[in-house]
Amino acid sequence: MRQSSWGRVAVVLTTGLAILSPLGIILYQSFLDGPFFQGSARPSLSAFRFVFADADFYRAFGSTLIVAVGMTALAVPLGGLLAFLVVRTDLPGRRWLEPALLIPIFLSPVVIAFGYVVALGPVGFVTLLFREAVGKAPWNLYSLASVTVIAGLTHIPHVYLYTSSTLRAIGSDLEEAAAVSGAGTARIAWTVSLPMVRPALLFSGVLVFFLGFELFGLPLILGDPEGLLVLSTYLYKLTNRLGVPSYQLMAVVAVVIMAIAFPLVWLQRRLLGASGRFVSVRGKGLKSAPLRMGRWRWAALLLVLAWLVATVVTPLAGVFLRAFVTNWGEGVRLREVLTLEHFTELFDYPNLVRGIVNTMVIGVVGGAIAVACYAAIALAQHRWQSRWAKVLDYLVMVPRGMPGLVAGLAFFWVFLFVKPLAPLRATPISLWIAYSVVWLAYGMRLISSALLQVGPELEEAALTMGASRGQVTRDVTLPLIRFGLLGSWLLVFLIFVREYSTGVYLLGPGTEVIGSLIVSLWGTGAIDIVSALSVINVVLVGLGLAVALRLGVRLHE
Amino acid sequence: MPRRYPLFLALMLTVTQSVTADSGPGTAKDVVSAAEQEGKLVVYSTTDIALVVPLLKDFAALYPKVALEYNDLNSTELYNRVISEVAAGAGSGDFLWSSAMDLQMKLANDAYALAYASPELPHLPQWASWRNEAYATTFEPIAFVYNKRLVKPEEVPQSHTELAKTLAGNTDRWRGKVTAYDPERSGVGFLLITQDARLDPNFAETERSYGRVGVKLYTSIGAMLERIQSGEHLLGFNIFGSYATARQRKDPSLGIVYPKDYTLVMARLALIPKAAKHPNAAKVFLDYILSKRGQELIAEAALFSIRDDVEGEHTAASLNRELGGTLKPLPVGPSLLVYLDHAKRLEFLKQWQQAIGTK
Repeated sequence: MRQSSWGRVAVVLTTGLAILSPLGIILYQSFLDGPFFQGSARPSLSAFRFVFADADFYRAFGSTLIVAVGMTALAVPLGGLLAFLVVRTDLPGRRWLEPALLIPIFLSPVVIAFGYVVALGPVGFVTLLFREAVGKAPWNLYSLASVTVIAGLTHIPHVYLYTSSTLRAIGSDLEEAAAVSGAGTARIAWTVSLPMVRPALLFSGVLVFFLGFELFGLPLILGDPEGLLVLSTYLYKLTNRLGVPSYQLMAVVAVVIMAIAFPLVWLQRRLLGASGRFVSVRGKGLKSAPLRMGRWRWAALLLVLAWLVATVVTPLAGVFLRAFVTNWGEGVRLREVLTLEHFTELFDYPNLVRGIVNTMVIGVVGGAIAVACYAAIALAQHRWQSRWAKVLDYLVMVPRGMPGLVAGLAFFWVFLFVKPLAPLRATPISLWIAYSVVWLAYGMRLISSALLQVGPELEEAALTMGASRGQVTRDVTLPLIRFGLLGSWLLVFLIFVREYSTGVYLLGPGTEVIGSLIVSLWGTGAIDIVSALSVINVVLVGLGLAVALRLGVRLHE
Repeated sequence: MPRRYPLFLALMLTVTQSVTADSGPGTAKDVVSAAEQEGKLVVYSTTDIALVVPLLKDFAALYPKVALEYNDLNSTELYNRVISEVAAGAGSGDFLWSSAMDLQMKLANDAYALAYASPELPHLPQWASWRNEAYATTFEPIAFVYNKRLVKPEEVPQSHTELAKTLAGNTDRWRGKVTAYDPERSGVGFLLITQDARLDPNFAETERSYGRVGVKLYTSIGAMLERIQSGEHLLGFNIFGSYATARQRKDPSLGIVYPKDYTLVMARLALIPKAAKHPNAAKVFLDYILSKRGQELIAEAALFSIRDDVEGEHTAASLNRELGGTLKPLPVGPSLLVYLDHAKRLEFLKQWQQAIGTK
């Protein structure tokens, strides 16, 4: 036992270093009056004074709060409902629906926002059709309400994934018992399933709330015309406010966001303190029969399809449309402007080709290694009654509170100023490390959710028989969570392929990825290439998903 | 129009270009051979690579021993990257080429730039270089851009004064339909609007007319052009004529007007950092871009040649004939730095916000 404790402490220390070094730089930077690497920078509170005296900061803070609360309130109930429908009921076509349900997760928000502009913007093709039929389109895509609703709808899959994996892990015998006793499906959902998935709903609720605080792509594009600001776009605006980059101001905003994150982590711990209550994987088979919904099943299907049309089909149609035309909008006949040129152009640029290759490698290989690291950390923490385990638990939540943009910048500095790491800067490894740390909390929760459902008695049985801690991990715990690991790998793949903000500052020759190329090219105005890259990104991910399903990573068993 | 070929530099030897010998750059022989020794050149640029592929290919044909690596960055990223790389002692790009004239000038002013007297210097206007450290390489007029499908020719304002009158005269027609850079979020947008404040005698009024129609402010030229093309907006001001022309080649419904009272001219500034690992290769590239041969390709890319001995549609020569004294190039020099002073900048922004009514 002693020896394995040392291994665990080593994991904690390594994780701590990877997380705290960029965090430390940001914290240090926030208390200076210039970039930390310039000799003229002096310790000062001036950056804090500037931000806290700025009316825009309070405006951005308020909007962020509205968006984060609104999207959580929307995503958690709907995501939970979706998970219940797909996992527990006889929803028609739920097997082939499932991969489609995940699509919003791996669409870059920049892509989605851009697609919505083409579809639902003031002269979008849906808007124009609507205007022809009704006279006036009643929505304003560029409002805070739209950003909130779109963010909520696109974050449903996050909740769905947590909740459905929990639902699958727990036996349906309790629900069957309720059904046998004559309870209807709705009643079973409310009184039996809901209490069992509460930990998953809480986890995902807090996660979605966090994501609300670092939402960047959606408000960047949809908030642009009306000047809507959230914290991350306010931070982005600060880049140019003073003419020269004001890292100290950006660091202050990052610190503010993290100061909100810590109490949330604490709250989450409190809520989940007695997680043992929810253990329900026992040493027995779990075969389940779907609950019947009768004719309601078609209504439920319609609801799910409506959500998919709103969240996936509409923006993707916009992006695909834009990728195959030279221009669009009011008074344009689409037949006359069709083109394939945007795609043939892509292959003229070695950096774009490299970006596509790097994206795949980081997604597939990097994703697998990241999941291995996350699993090592989760196992180190698993059933470890130690203060170190608590430290680790808080630690892994920290980077999620860092906006990807800022984390990317911090990692750029780390790779620049820490000499032994310098050779990695121009390789995809630097990106992989940044991604793995930024998405640590997310990946960890996936694996922890699976671990949470493993009853201690199985491991205790092995320990009693004389197995060492390592043997227990290898022969009992890992096999029990292997589907959770495969699912996590798939999810991390999707997330890494989609990621766009973390790579922006690390972008250079050798570190191109589709996501950050899109942001960069959007800035320079190459919309044609952006739309083509977006389509390729979507297609690549679709292929990856198909391959994963073919290989047997079945999320629906 | 052979605009785009695969950019595999090694293959570029095979590219043949009909260029007369005397239009090539006048780089000294020892600099060229030192550059060939270095064998590599790292360019940090804000210019969309799509626009300069022919230029890079021609350079590779001329100097096959210098492998060119082109990095497309936005202007703030470029500046950040350079100062942090220099601070880390990690070396930096060899050649910095950016449309953010103020940030480039700040780098030169803060002693990041290497002085090099380009032999092409005599062919440039007087205002186009500073202490042999910062060089203007293009001559890009700043335009009004409009949607030809949805705006009648007689509606299109031809000067800043007309713009203000047009907007004020029919606010309902133009409400939410006018677009420009956001000076708060875009460095280039800030630079342009401060120049308007300097050159437009009725600026206060013009500014108010922007506010009255609720001008839509963006950070990206792509977003603005896209929305003018689609008809979401109808008219944009302070838009780079170069980007608009490149876009117009694909979509003829985009109209471009160079204001008759004054037309601002921006330049992409080039400089060679002292931290360059391949300074000679950078010198060769600078000479090449400024040479007649390089500038002819700059003109073809619609980035507008700055040399008056280059002829064609997109050149300083043709703009001078068309617009003459109303062209107002921004001189390369410390005057670009005025608004990098924090207090002055924030003061200007405050006044701007009050005028357009966002505060």
